[in-house]
Amino acid sequence: MSLILGYVATLLVTFFTYNIFVIGLNIQFGYAGILNFTVITFMAFGAYFYAVFVMPHANNASQVFYILGLHWPWPLAMLAGVVASGALGYLVGLIALKRLRSDYLAIVTLATGTLVYGLFGNNNKLFDGWSGLFNVNQPFQSVATNHPNEFSWIFVVFSGVVMLVVWLFANRLYASPLGRSMRAIREDQDVVDSFGRNSFKVRMLAMVIGSVIVGIGGVLTIQYIGALSPAGWTTGETFVVWAALLVGGRANNLGAIVGSLLVAVVFNEATRYIPQVPSHPNLIPNLRNVIIGGLVILSIWFRPQGVLPEKKASFLEVPLVDKYAQGFPGDEPENALSPAASEA
Amino acid sequence: MANSILEVKGIKLAFGGVQAIDDCSFHIEEGTITALIGPNGAGKSTMVNVISGTYRPDEGHVIFDGKDVTRMPNYARAQHGLLRTFQISREFANMTVLENLLVVRQGQVGESLFGALFRAKSWQAQTKELVAEANEILNTFGLYRLRNEYAGNLSGGQKRLVELSRAVMAKPRLLLLDEPMAGVTPALIERLGQHILELNRELGISFVLVEHNLEVVEKICSRVVVMALGKQLADGTLAELRSNQEVIDAYLGGGARERVGS
Repeated sequence: MSLILGYVATLLVTFFTYNIFVIGLNIQFGYAGILNFTVITFMAFGAYFYAVFVMPHANNASQVFYILGLHWPWPLAMLAGVVASGALGYLVGLIALKRLRSDYLAIVTLATGTLVYGLFGNNNKLFDGWSGLFNVNQPFQSVATNHPNEFSWIFVVFSGVVMLVVWLFANRLYASPLGRSMRAIREDQDVVDSFGRNSFKVRMLAMVIGSVIVGIGGVLTIQYIGALSPAGWTTGETFVVWAALLVGGRANNLGAIVGSLLVAVVFNEATRYIPQVPSHPNLIPNLRNVIIGGLVILSIWFRPQGVLPEKKASFLEVPLVDKYAQGFPGDEPENALSPAASEA
Repeated sequence: MANSILEVKGIKLAFGGVQAIDDCSFHIEEGTITALIGPNGAGKSTMVNVISGTYRPDEGHVIFDGKDVTRMPNYARAQHGLLRTFQISREFANMTVLENLLVVRQGQVGESLFGALFRAKSWQAQTKELVAEANEILNTFGLYRLRNEYAGNLSGGQKRLVELSRAVMAKPRLLLLDEPMAGVTPALIERLGQHILELNRELGISFVLVEHNLEVVEKICSRVVVMALGKQLADGTLAELRSNQEVIDAYLGGGARERVGS
């Protein structure tokens, strides 16, 4: 029973953190149309910087090397991780958003991801190289001492609350005039510019907000697991987030939730615990990727807008005061464009 | 001379070896509808792009409302009331017609991140007013019925009307229309022309029309600027230009002369 409860808690935390990743990507891609193909790098940035701010100074005798080691209290370290992730978003934005669009921007993000991956992996003085960081200080450990599952369940509540805040934030942003500008930029950037909006600024805002949110998810991940190495944030992980967004429905945060439940929890995580086939140890993980890839193809083929497509905007409207409001010629579809309409 | 809202002085712009605009100057008077005509390749669309700030000229100045805006980015020019539409309809396809209009109004409270998050009451009230205003505009253009339709689902002619009503929503002082009648049925041409006239009279919006349809030009434009080979060739009323041999040679031609004169 205790084992199952612990497993359920882990699944829930995974669900919540993936939700946060997908909402972050949704703001970048679903709202503003920014193709960020290195979502997971921002997660790693958040996680690593949280770790080096919260951990004590590196002890050289243990042969584990990392920068800083400031031993800050965890809420401050959490903030530092999130800021680091947002700063990376800003830097990538400076390089990529000023002049580049869609596919070229995507290439820059992919390159950034590869660079950071190589840098953090090969340089063992930064974040302990390929072995990664472990024994990272976790919050709530001092109060959760009675039972191994106690920490997990406190963390379910904590990550749930964080997810809720992110969710409310994302929805308010979507409905606001700023969110509307972002979606207009997704549709046609030049037109938005020619109507007096600095589209670069708005896209940058979407880029940084998305990075910050993904960074929050990254901090939660390392807080829960207590360790992270480059093997945990390969390029493939980015596409799990993408798959969740595409399957669930872009530009719809409810779709993001459905997507992360379906892809990240059901297919990605739940299948991790299927017993291995001894003769083919890689069979299950490979099949998992095949299934997620297939799911994306199926959803793009049969339901390109995702399970829950973007909702049509509706506004509370007062009836027209105009004299044409009743029996306007435009009410008849075939007369909609007749010259009579303007001369009536 | 009446107050000129726009002045272009000695504009030069080359793309590689092609001198698209070669020392072109003219001015637009406030409150008028001016046509910009000329044969294909005369540099009309390029000029629209230079005026709106999409292209930077190699030389010369663009002066809008007494201010030199040559080095100002396009969005900043738009904030001053210098707006343009595009040769092809460029609606926000996956947004409703109403949203298409709501996006373009400047100075909304919820445009900044802080405003969007913490002043929701304020922008919600503002959006309500803007919706009412947008509906009135859409009604005038016969699009009220389609306000909650995705703009991408509209017909070509309807998209043209969305473009124009969207521009009206943005409250321009000068509106550059790049071939607004291209690919439009005669009935709708008539109607678009009527709308432009009304907007000019009732809201005082100045217009620059790049247009090939000389009947439209004759009906709604008080002045015509002719461009050829990147230069300003002549300007005046269409009647004056019809007797200008240079203009006839470059653009109007014999057939057109008869047609326009009829």
